[in-house]
Parts: sequence; C-alpha cells; structure tokens
Amino acid sequence: MSSINESAGASVAARASTLDLHEIQATVLRPRPAPYFGSHVLLRVDEPAAGRAFLRRLIPYVDSAASWWSATDPWIAVGISYTGLEALGVPEESLQSFPEAFRKGMAARARQLGDIGVNDPKNWDQAYGKGEVHIGLSAFSDSEESRRRILGIAREQLAGFSGVSVLAMQDFGAQPGDRNSLGYKDGIDQPAIEGIGVDPLPGQGESIKAGEFILGYPGESGFPLPMPQPDILGRNGTYVGFRKYQSRVGAFNRFLQAHGSTEAERELLAAKLVGRWRSGAPLVLAPDVDNPTLGSDPQRNNDFNYARDLRGRQAPFGCHIRRMNPRDTKLTRLTDVKLHRLIRRGTTYGPPYDPNALSEEDDEVPRGAYFLFISAKAMATMEFLQQEWINDGNFIGIGDERDPIIGLQEEGATFTIPKDPVRRLVRGIETFNVLRGGEYFFMPSLSALKWLADSQR
Amino acid sequence: MASQTQAATAPESKLTAAEKVQQLRELYADAPELSRRALENVLEELTEQVSQTPPPPVESAGRAGIRLGKVSELTLIIPLAPGGAKRLRAFLRLLGGNLNGADKVGTVHDMRFVFLDNDTKLLFATAYDGDWDAYIDDFATRIPDYLDVLNAGWEGWPGIRSPEAKNYLARHQVTAEGWFVANDLTVAETRRLKRIGEAVDEFLDKIQ
Repeated sequence: MSSINESAGASVAARASTLDLHEIQATVLRPRPAPYFGSHVLLRVDEPAAGRAFLRRLIPYVDSAASWWSATDPWIAVGISYTGLEALGVPEESLQSFPEAFRKGMAARARQLGDIGVNDPKNWDQAYGKGEVHIGLSAFSDSEESRRRILGIAREQLAGFSGVSVLAMQDFGAQPGDRNSLGYKDGIDQPAIEGIGVDPLPGQGESIKAGEFILGYPGESGFPLPMPQPDILGRNGTYVGFRKYQSRVGAFNRFLQAHGSTEAERELLAAKLVGRWRSGAPLVLAPDVDNPTLGSDPQRNNDFNYARDLRGRQAPFGCHIRRMNPRDTKLTRLTDVKLHRLIRRGTTYGPPYDPNALSEEDDEVPRGAYFLFISAKAMATMEFLQQEWINDGNFIGIGDERDPIIGLQEEGATFTIPKDPVRRLVRGIETFNVLRGGEYFFMPSLSALKWLADSQR
Repeated sequence: MASQTQAATAPESKLTAAEKVQQLRELYADAPELSRRALENVLEELTEQVSQTPPPPVESAGRAGIRLGKVSELTLIIPLAPGGAKRLRAFLRLLGGNLNGADKVGTVHDMRFVFLDNDTKLLFATAYDGDWDAYIDDFATRIPDYLDVLNAGWEGWPGIRSPEAKNYLARHQVTAEGWFVANDLTVAETRRLKRIGEAVDEFLDKIQ
C-alpha cells in the first residue's frame, strides 16, 4: 500500500531485519496510513476464561510487523493493562515481574506524570483510571469502508460473549489534509530504530537500539531492559502509554487572536508554538513563510537539525517539536536524547479544526486526539518527558516555561520567542489540550498473546 | 532502606501541633538537664511556629529521598570492598578533592564523599534537581566510565550499565528525616539568572 510506504519512507525494498518481525505487533513499527480511519475499543474482562477465549478469537486479526512497511488489510493492535493481566489469570510471579509504574497504572502515577489540576485523574472520562480497562484494541485502516469491516469482525467475535464487556468505543480518523484538531499536520518525526529493515528518513537522526522500543534486544546501554517473565510473555513485547486529549480549540484560537492582528501574524505565532507551520514545514527550513510543498514531502519535511538555529530565532527553544526531540540543541543537563524518545501513533477524533471557533462552548466540543506512546520503558519515558521536557523549561534553559501545546499551564504562563533585537514574551498561554483519560498497556508479542490465551491456570 | 521514604513523607499528620509539642516534651523528659532547659527556652517560639504557619512538609523525591521545591537530597551509605577506600581516595586526591567535572551533569548542586568506620564505609551525600531516577539512564550511556571508576570500591557494585544499578543505589540510600534548601532554584535557573545578571550589567554599562 503506497500510502504507508510513503509515510514510512520505505520507497525501496526493505533489507533484512535483525528483529523477530513476525512476533512483534504491526502497530509498533507501522505508521498510520494516510488518510487513516480506525477505532479504539476499551474492554473489561469479567470472567478469566471468557477473556482468554476472546483473545484466542482475536489473534488471527492481530497483524505482525513482518512486512510492516506495506499493509493491504486493516490491522488490530492489542494491549493489556496490569489489571487486565490479573483478570486473565496470569500467575502471581509473572505479575510481579512487571515494572512498578505499570502495575500501579497511569492514574496512580499522576504525581510522577504531573497529571494534576484539570488533568487530574478525578476529572477523567468515566472509563479511565479505575482499573476497569483490561484490554485496549485499536483498529487501523486506510478507508472508512475497511474500518467498518474490521469493526464488524470484532463485533462478531464479541457477539453472544458473556464475560467481556465494552467500556468505551471511539472512532478516529484523518481530517482534511491529514491535520489534527488544532489544524496541524502531525506525526511527522518518529525515532529511527536499528534493525527494522528500512533506512531512516532524512533527518530522523542516528538509529536507536531496538531494545529501547522492543523487549528482548540490547538497548542503548548495551543491555536488554528487564523483561516480564516467563520469557515467552516478555520477549518482543512492549509498553503503550494510551492518552486521550481534548483540544480546547476556542481557547487556542482566542490566544492566536489576542496576539496576532493579521492572519499572517497568527499563522506565524501558531508555527512558533509548534516549530512547524500547520502544513508540517519546519521553521528551521522555512523561517518566514509557510512552504506547503516542503511540509508534505517526507523526504524533506524532517531533514534538519538546530546547528543553524543555535539561538532559537527560527524554532523557539520552548516550541513543541524542539522539546520533544531537541536533536543537537545544547541542553543544560547531561542528557542522552536517544533515551527519551517514544514511537507515537496519534489518532484524531471529533470534528475538524475550525479557525473561527472562538467561544468557550467550542472548548467543550469533543475533539482531540488519542495517542499510543510506544516504548520498552514507556512508563519511565513518559514520566521523564512530563516532568522534564513538557512541564518544565530548565532542561533547555528557559526557566519554568512549559510545552505550549501539551503542557499543563499555570496561571500567568508565558512563551518566549527569541527574536532580534529582543525576545518577545507572549502571555496568556493556557492548557490547550486537556487530558481526559489514560491507561498503561502491555503490548505482547503474537506468541505471548497465544500464551495468554491458551494457558490453563 | 528505601522504605524509609514512606516514613519521611507520611508524618503523623493526624496529631495536632499541640499534641506533637506535648509528645516532644515527653521524649525530652529523660534527656540531660541542659537539653530539657534548652527545650523549655525555645518552646513558646517553636509552638507558635508550628501551629500558626506550619512550613510546607517535604515531598518524596521518587524512589527514595525527599525534596523541597525542586531540590532533592540523596544520601548513600555504601560498604566498601577491601582496598576500595584506597582506590577512591587516590582518585579524589588526583582531582585535588574538587569534583568540578560534575558540572556538566547540570542537575547536581553539591556532592560530598566521606569515609567512615576506618575506611570500611562511604557516606555519599548530594543535593540535586528533580526526581530520583530522571537522569540515571543518561549517566549510564553518557559517562559510564567515570561512574564505574568512582564506584570501583563499592562492595557488590554491578556497574552503572547494569539494569541492577538503580536497585543497588536504592538499597543503600537512607532517606533524610530533615531537609533545608535556601537556594530553591535549580542549577539551570541559577546559571540562567547569573547570565541575565551579567547581561544586564553589560547593558547598563553600555548605555551610560
């Protein structure tokens, strides 16, 4: 399927991979198609045997990452939470072999994640944070029609099944021009992973050891990360931080209106917040005016570093993409950028971005994004990112300022735009994306799924 | 030892200030006369302090240790292997006892190395910014050799690259019961303010 080839950059035949691709779930390596359609389904297992039987039925539809760079059919990703592993009857010694943050769950780690105030788990949507979400399914496809087909299959598998209940279901899909709910093209920069059989795209940077993203392989330290036991359960699995954000489009537009008097000024400010124009064109390569052709070209839209922007005159130090991947930016703390990257699968839901939405009611229109943040140490990485790179600015030398897009803003928050002769300090930054729920999932290998489904315990 | 964090971050908050003061007096009842008298001398001021504007309690710094604002404390008491103290002392003396190479870490306010009990144990104490394990993985890939040279005398040290390294540290950490931070800025903020101060001076000099 050419759309995936394009976004994955796999224009040439893939080389031999050094990973067990047929064991790893496709979603770990396969980007969403363009355009994309899909659904997230959150399930609760009420009967261990029923949960295992459900997994057994599901396994044929869970695609592996073998030939992840091309997909002809829609595919399903399956994640299981810690309470889900308990509900499926996984033995105690296996349960105890999972990392503490995963065992506690995302809501219980709110302090470490900085999920307080409006993002506090007590404000989350009904289904989340109560230990009731046991299985998370995500179906991805390249058309509305095939999305419906695969959901039909999932429904058939569930029909007449007692002992597994649906807690929440949410369709998602690309919006016109592949934009997210704040109007930006997103999902451009992903970490390059060693041994996956495809050359990195220009600008993706040095490949990162596979063990940082998939369990059972050496990580950047040379050692594999600790793995859940037994081996068959842990190997080729990974973790997913699943987060639902609601975009406060009215507040975002009001902010742009308040600080830009012309369309051009507003669009430049919007670009400064992210580090890219809404088209995806990076400010480092297109500092003054948007370049949509550049933005839509995967061979060029990520091909830059910050050596030519040492003072943040193009991409401010505090902008979203410079925080999430500082590349070669000089940081104030001894940091190995390669250790703090996540594979992310962003999925937009709700009505498209509306530049004229200005009211407070517009803030409450359900639209935003569900993210799957994938890494072999997703919990630790998310806690690091939330504390260091999102809700603080010290790491990059800008004091207390926070990520203008996904940060949790305090009263009086500011955003500094370095500029000649003096910087521009923009006030009135609000929390533009509010957290509405989240769960940690373990995303097992295909063999581990069978192990989970088959074991009689 | 790390379990002591819990005790430190969960003070007996159910007691009222007056009850806590009373408890303190009882515990001092069999203290030497001079200590009892000293307590009586400061009791009024102390009672006022804790009942009117109780200071914000310390928070957990994560896996072990406590934090005030952005600054956390970490104290390790490490058994030294035979010859370990000798190695570490030689290394520290090579640097004239000054570890300014740690500057590039960017989160460390201070560090001290103290040999205890006839060189059989090491007391390591530091003040640093942020949560307990935020940057340990970074140290392991960026400066592993310096850490393993420093820790060469530690009994049973698995090596900073080992997945066991964090467990080793947590096992030997003793959480402080009290903690005071005058400079509640991070190291990065302090350096930033220093730069800004210098720039302001330069600017003022130029416009004269």
